[in-house]
Amino acid sequence: MALEYFDVAVLLVVLSLASWLVVKKRSRQSILWLSVFTLIYFGFYRNGCICSIGAIQNVTLSFASPAYTISLTALLFFVLPLGFTLFFGRTFCAAACPLGAIQDVVIIKPISLPKWLNKTLGLIPYLYLSLAVLFAATGTDFIICRYDPFVGIFRMDAKFHMVVLGVSFLLMGMFVARPYCRFLCPYGVLLSWMSRFSKWHMTITPSKCIQCKLCANSCPFDAIDYPTNEKEVLKSGLGPKKFLTYALVIPLWIAAGVFVGNRSHTFLSKANPDVFLAELLISKPEIKNDKDNIDVQTFLSSGKTLETLVSEAEIIRHKFYYGSMMAGGFMGLVIGLTLLNTVVFRKRQDYEPNRSNCLSCTRCMDFCPVEK
Amino acid sequence: MKNKGIIIFLIVLAVVIIAVIAGDYLSGRPDKSAPNPFAYDVNDFKNVPEELIHFTESKNFKLGFEQATSITIDSDKLYVTGDKKLQVIDLSGKLLSEINLPDEPKTVEVYNDKIYVSVNNQILVYDPNGSLLNEWRNSDENSMITAISALENNVFVADAGRRKVIRYSLQGEKLTEFDGKADEGVVHGFIIPSPYFDLDINADGDLWVVNPGLHALENYTEDGNLREHWNNTTMQTEGFSGCCNPAHFTFLPDGRFVTSEKGLVRIKTYKPSGEFEGVVAAPSKFKDEGEAPDIATDSQGNIYALDFDKKMIRVFEPK
Repeated sequence: MALEYFDVAVLLVVLSLASWLVVKKRSRQSILWLSVFTLIYFGFYRNGCICSIGAIQNVTLSFASPAYTISLTALLFFVLPLGFTLFFGRTFCAAACPLGAIQDVVIIKPISLPKWLNKTLGLIPYLYLSLAVLFAATGTDFIICRYDPFVGIFRMDAKFHMVVLGVSFLLMGMFVARPYCRFLCPYGVLLSWMSRFSKWHMTITPSKCIQCKLCANSCPFDAIDYPTNEKEVLKSGLGPKKFLTYALVIPLWIAAGVFVGNRSHTFLSKANPDVFLAELLISKPEIKNDKDNIDVQTFLSSGKTLETLVSEAEIIRHKFYYGSMMAGGFMGLVIGLTLLNTVVFRKRQDYEPNRSNCLSCTRCMDFCPVEK
Repeated sequence: MKNKGIIIFLIVLAVVIIAVIAGDYLSGRPDKSAPNPFAYDVNDFKNVPEELIHFTESKNFKLGFEQATSITIDSDKLYVTGDKKLQVIDLSGKLLSEINLPDEPKTVEVYNDKIYVSVNNQILVYDPNGSLLNEWRNSDENSMITAISALENNVFVADAGRRKVIRYSLQGEKLTEFDGKADEGVVHGFIIPSPYFDLDINADGDLWVVNPGLHALENYTEDGNLREHWNNTTMQTEGFSGCCNPAHFTFLPDGRFVTSEKGLVRIKTYKPSGEFEGVVAAPSKFKDEGEAPDIATDSQGNIYALDFDKKMIRVFEPK
């Protein structure tokens, strides 16, 4: 227990240091070494648990289940990075996340992805977040932990297929920088929201941008926004009409999402072991005689009746009914806003980090010739 | 296309990632669960490497018993009990004599031309001609006599029902009894979950008693003081497993232990120190979940196993 509080203290120190190194010191080298420390301490020494990413589920379950009480350390791991991001941008991603650190050290030859692909893949974390919250709220599974591709590597006890998953992400990360962070991490969604409003987000240049374009291709995460070319914008037909159309379509996207959620709740609820077992025992009653089926035998030896199991499964499915529609509606809103965002014209004169996607790694700073 | 190789590589990795996640999600469901990893399955332990088997089965004798019960050897003659009889057989399998008993016998011991047979938890003493010399009464209804061994002026009797070893004089007078508990609590006492409780005396005159619940063999003085013990609990070939093993044991002429186990039926030898030496007969030699054979040894170091399931005496010679 004392070690868990020590972990919180270490996280606080690392976040503070990372924020100072990013915003004030502007040192890529220091950030790199700090992330190596994070990788060793939070990753290999503390076995990647507890982590802020997984804490989403603890927080969700604490709201959904009165029987579950979240530990103070889990809550702090969830809240502290969000708080720091609100002020300093995603410095947690830069140096305090072991999952980010392990991917950051394998970036060899990052390639730039087309904008449409970036946008499309960027929807996956929202979907993952929706499902993680839905599954945690229904007490079904902690899927973020289950599919954490690196925790098995940290603990060196992963099953073979999870090793394959982790290694695949690392191999992919040699060319697509930090793929898990950018295209899967559900906590990244929350961090990107906070980062948009960050008060002291890092800047590429320490003073005035001289438009040298040296930083243009420096970001391996495609997180630098270029200065806007008004002529091209005019040519593309962006304007209030298109904006209004896309904005008015958002409720339709939400409705479509709710519909999809409604239709998929039965399928999704089967991820819950009780629901699946109840359906299995009803559809295949002969499975009760399968002595090798540990799940069935465990249920039979528990003394619980099938009627009780079915009524419990019905309650869970009912939760999925509403939860799936909410998740679907959320995804519809995200898709609608993402599309709307493509027709929003923001005037930009300099090369700037995209506050939402920038991981504050400070690589771009090394390319900037401007002195303070 | 620029970076064509990398893009193909990335697509392959993306497919692998999706396949792993989808495969993991769909597996482990109750209808696709892997076999119970905690299932009690001893099949793997039935296989014994050939190099560990130090004996070979040379011959066997069919028995005239419907239900054999015990075997011992004295002066290279086999004494076998079963049904309501005791048979004396030479080492080639030829019946030498037969003694009728009043009821079904449980165990037999031969020492100094006297035959001690347990019948209905009483001990009957016969001479080699079959004349009843003495009858030691035992009125304890909880008794279940499972082994007898004699030396000089003492006859030791293992009583599984009362979890005690009782020492009698040659005349049948009860001298003392002990339950295997040490004063300092070093030794737990005899743990006997099922009626398998054997004892024997080696060529040096040392009394050894099985503590089957502890998978131990314990050496006691005639007054019941523990001198030494060894145990070996493991599912592997070199040790004992289950509730109560070894079920039977005896000694080779050079002092090595020969043990017989139930559950995973097998016969093995151990050095006098208790170190595992080798296998006499692997589980494949016996009926699955059959009874542990009673065992005896002759002066040549051959081992005679009374196979209750096949109703025969099986002889194992050193390779």
